[in-house]
Amino acid sequence: MMKQLIAQMQEIARELLETGIVQTVIGWEKGSRWYLSPPVFVRKPEDAGRLWYDQFAVPNLSGYLLDYRNKNEKVAVFVKGCDSRSVVRLIQDNQVRKENIVAIGVPCAGMRDQSAVNDEKEPHELPLLSKCLQCRYPNPVYADRTVGEAVVDKSLNVPDDLDAGTGLMGGDLTGDGSYVSSGIVERLEGLSSDDRYDFWQKAFSKCLRCYACRNVCPACSCRECIMDSEHSLWVGKGSSPTENMFNALIRAYHVAGRCTTCGECERVCPVGIPLMALNQFLGQEVNKLLEAYDAGIDETLKPPLEMYGWPDFDGLFRCAKGVRA
Amino acid sequence: MSFEPKIIGFLCNWCAYTAADLAGISRLKYPDNIRIIRVMCTGRIEPSFVLKAFASGADGVLVAGCHPGGCHYQEGNYKAYKRTLLLKKLLPQFGIASERFRLEFIASSEGEKFARVVGEMVGQLKILGPLQTAAVRIAELDGLFGEAEGGTGGGR
Repeated sequence: MMKQLIAQMQEIARELLETGIVQTVIGWEKGSRWYLSPPVFVRKPEDAGRLWYDQFAVPNLSGYLLDYRNKNEKVAVFVKGCDSRSVVRLIQDNQVRKENIVAIGVPCAGMRDQSAVNDEKEPHELPLLSKCLQCRYPNPVYADRTVGEAVVDKSLNVPDDLDAGTGLMGGDLTGDGSYVSSGIVERLEGLSSDDRYDFWQKAFSKCLRCYACRNVCPACSCRECIMDSEHSLWVGKGSSPTENMFNALIRAYHVAGRCTTCGECERVCPVGIPLMALNQFLGQEVNKLLEAYDAGIDETLKPPLEMYGWPDFDGLFRCAKGVRA
Repeated sequence: MSFEPKIIGFLCNWCAYTAADLAGISRLKYPDNIRIIRVMCTGRIEPSFVLKAFASGADGVLVAGCHPGGCHYQEGNYKAYKRTLLLKKLLPQFGIASERFRLEFIASSEGEKFARVVGEMVGQLKILGPLQTAAVRIAELDGLFGEAEGGTGGGR
């Protein structure tokens, strides 16, 4: 089954490169360990055989599209259901041009958690990632082509019941979450403001300021990041508690309402900060405050924080006062 | 000595700043705890500005701009309002009470309202006390990090 799928993927990549429709195909390849499937950039048709896909193809490849935004180059990118949301986000933000990318949807039955590996040599069973346990978009919401049984499907959308506040990661959590973040939002809800502060302070005191979370994020698309600012009085470069917190808050806020909860920031964090908890929290608040909205589903819609105007503003006032139409 | 809170006020050039001016011209009395930063529009205020103010030791932040429909740039205050609502939710996560951050619509003729808002805010902040996060806690934490060295710290 999987072999057939991979053959199909390679075939499509070869065809796209041979016909010159795209110059680069971004996919996954077989990694150096049994549980690794890192990204690969295929530029020649004869290299298409390197492409690979299995339950470890966790990396969200759509972030790499940002590297091509100023190039006159067409790129094909393989997307799982969740990754396709990031592609939609990039199109919404005018970061990539629709006509310059070919998104190829792949079916996904959930990815396995590499952090649970016990034996580096011998393959063994691994639990599903917690983000996959809560998955609501197993099928791509946006794709130019699909392989296998993947279909473009936007039908699963925002929960009807706004007051339930199910948030972006709604759905049932049926297993023990393996992402560090799982359950943190709920746990923090019961804490006092000061306890929450202590929690975050502890979490972010580990931060090395490596900015891996920013670099991997498909929503972090500023041409010049505020964190790279030359003004040392504005953003300090040191890894002090205040600066770390400032950094974390700004990062979280900047992706609020645009985060597609792909979980990449948390996956790449070398010190295991529960970054998704913050993103999830803000996503839920956007849902509750502004409107029920799932980021990156429909490329023709504008995200709630980017829409302004009278009709919308009226609703906003009602929301702010706790009254809902 | 009683605690005197520091408030950073981001005021829009067209409405709130003019209101502050009017308050002065009308010789209205209001606490001098507010440090005013004039911006051309509240829509210019990035959430990072507010966070930076708190991180640098402000006890409260006031963002004041035009009434809905009165923005000189049509929709700047709407942007500010949306961002503010979300920021107000984010701040308590980090131990900053949402009362420390306030958004007000103050028209240029409402000097009296400006004076009242500042007065109210100062009263509220005096009850809340100084913001224990950021600058104040650094000293404590630096102490903590010193102790943790070689022990439970991040391995450095």
